[in-house]
Amino acid sequence: MNLNTLAWRNLWRHKRRTLITASSIAFGVLLAVTFTGAGDYFYTRMIDAGANMGMGHITVAAPDYNRAPSSKKYLHQAGKLRQQVINIEEVADVVARIHGQAMFASARTSIGGMFIAIDPKQEHADNNLFIKAMVSGEMLSSASEKDIVLGVDLARKLKVDLGKKVVYTTTDNNGDIVSAIARVSGLFQTGSSEIDGAMAILPLNTVQKVLGYQQDEVSVLAVTLHDQRSSHQMRDTLQNMAEFEAVEVLNWQQTQPDLAGMIAVDKSSNYISQLLIALLVAAGILNTMLMSVLERGREFGVMMAVGMSPRNLFLLVMLESFWLAVAGLIIGIVVTTPWYLFMSQTGIDLSEYYGEGFSFGGVLLDSVFKIRLFKESIMAILIGLFGLALLSGAYPAWRAGQIPPVESLKTI
Amino acid sequence: MKQAIVELHNLSKIYQQGEVQVKAVDNVSLTIAKGDFAALCGPSGSGKTSILNLIGGLDTATSGQVWLEGIDLESMGNTQLAEVRKNRIGFVFQSYNLIPVMTAFENAAFVLDLQGIAKQEIQQRVMQTLAQVGLTGLEHRRPDEMSGGQQQRVAIARAIVTEPAIVLADEPTANVDSHTAESLLDLMQTLNQQQGITFLFSTHDQHVIDRARRIIQVQDGQVVSDEIRP
Repeated sequence: MNLNTLAWRNLWRHKRRTLITASSIAFGVLLAVTFTGAGDYFYTRMIDAGANMGMGHITVAAPDYNRAPSSKKYLHQAGKLRQQVINIEEVADVVARIHGQAMFASARTSIGGMFIAIDPKQEHADNNLFIKAMVSGEMLSSASEKDIVLGVDLARKLKVDLGKKVVYTTTDNNGDIVSAIARVSGLFQTGSSEIDGAMAILPLNTVQKVLGYQQDEVSVLAVTLHDQRSSHQMRDTLQNMAEFEAVEVLNWQQTQPDLAGMIAVDKSSNYISQLLIALLVAAGILNTMLMSVLERGREFGVMMAVGMSPRNLFLLVMLESFWLAVAGLIIGIVVTTPWYLFMSQTGIDLSEYYGEGFSFGGVLLDSVFKIRLFKESIMAILIGLFGLALLSGAYPAWRAGQIPPVESLKTI
Repeated sequence: MKQAIVELHNLSKIYQQGEVQVKAVDNVSLTIAKGDFAALCGPSGSGKTSILNLIGGLDTATSGQVWLEGIDLESMGNTQLAEVRKNRIGFVFQSYNLIPVMTAFENAAFVLDLQGIAKQEIQQRVMQTLAQVGLTGLEHRRPDEMSGGQQQRVAIARAIVTEPAIVLADEPTANVDSHTAESLLDLMQTLNQQQGITFLFSTHDQHVIDRARRIIQVQDGQVVSDEIRP
């Protein structure tokens, strides 16, 4: 009989104990999938939502624009650069935008805020959060040169509604103060009071004229990626292209450091939670294997007496840990799969507590709690728990081989 | 002159029990010859099992030497001792000590597996040995499905299937009734007489003492008499 078969049979000598320990591994799989899946889902949602609020996963801008934004710093030949980027496989979309600060004035009051100027032909709901957040009127169209879309709170502060006139004042590419008049064509409500109370959307071609920009000149190119995780690699790829030598290429961690920091902190606490779960699982396995080794002292003594080497005895107990881990992971996968399918497709609706959405780290998230696992996270969970099970079995296995046979044989 | 299988030279074993030193084996010199059917006899605590453990490489001496087929066991490490036990010694224990998750066949085949013998040869040798010990038809039974006597027969089969230089049997009849004890002794005597297998018992069972052809009396860790019967 080979060691594998012997280890498998040994494992089932105490069915209940084995099943309880395998179940603790399975429970570890369930918790790890839930925690990691929640992280993978929410971080991606936050990063994507942050990208859709203006700067993209990757931002191409004039040098030093990100550190000290100004209408004096802008990209030339944005169309040519956009064409270069949009053909890259990892890139989902590229839009040209002008970002700026302005004083908005109505007939009754004035208030400071921000604007994003967009080209309606390039924008759609997948890359622009404000289109999804429209609550009345219409988002800008190609023909709407004099239109403005306001956040609902900004409109309320200005005491304007659809069809009313708003004057916005900003500085042009020479630093001179310039103004233009627009008519409110739509209102959006993201749920974030910071955004809804200060943000306006304007037509790109109109703002270009107001700021003194040429048709091909914008503040930024906001690049949306199919997968936000490739932002580091894409930033480096673009920065190394000759056409991008004279511009700055930044990823979302650089343009949204607050969000990146918040995710990093949240990830750390998530890792700590998972470490605690791992320790609980490890303690269960260690306890089972140690008990199993201690109660078989005499049997191990006999095995060594008839010629089994300490190395083979170590291997036998490690194989028992191996099969215990395999059993636990299989049970874990069986139990976790329906849970994962439900949570990734339907999720738990928390709108009763959070409303339609909530702001986290300056970005907007919907209130349905879902999970999603990246392939590498699945591998990390399986390998991590498997490794943990083997590691927990290592001490009992080592101990089994270290007790002299004459001592083991004295064990009752 | 018979060939010596085991030679003990001035062998001593001292155990530390708390602050007290216990001399379990005291300067024992002894030779076990090929084909011997010998018994170490003496009361409990006399040191007979300690001597058996030292001969079997299960324990190391405090001083002195153990030679098994010309190999000095005291100079060996754990792994080398395991090799010696696997290839040269058969063990029969008082409480059978079969591996409970294995069948009779698998228990008997266990050491051959460790030796890396081919499956076909294992099959042939184990079936033959089980037949020798009277267990034909019981190969697939697990220990808990067999009587004490049957389990001890499996243990004997496991001990002799590798054709060892010596079989060390520690109180092999202590846990069985007298009828079964006689039957097991019949078996071991036959194996000794027909196949020349060397047996060394540690016992205080009169059944074994009556059958042994050599009686080595042990008292307080010392050999006090060594009688060879005609």
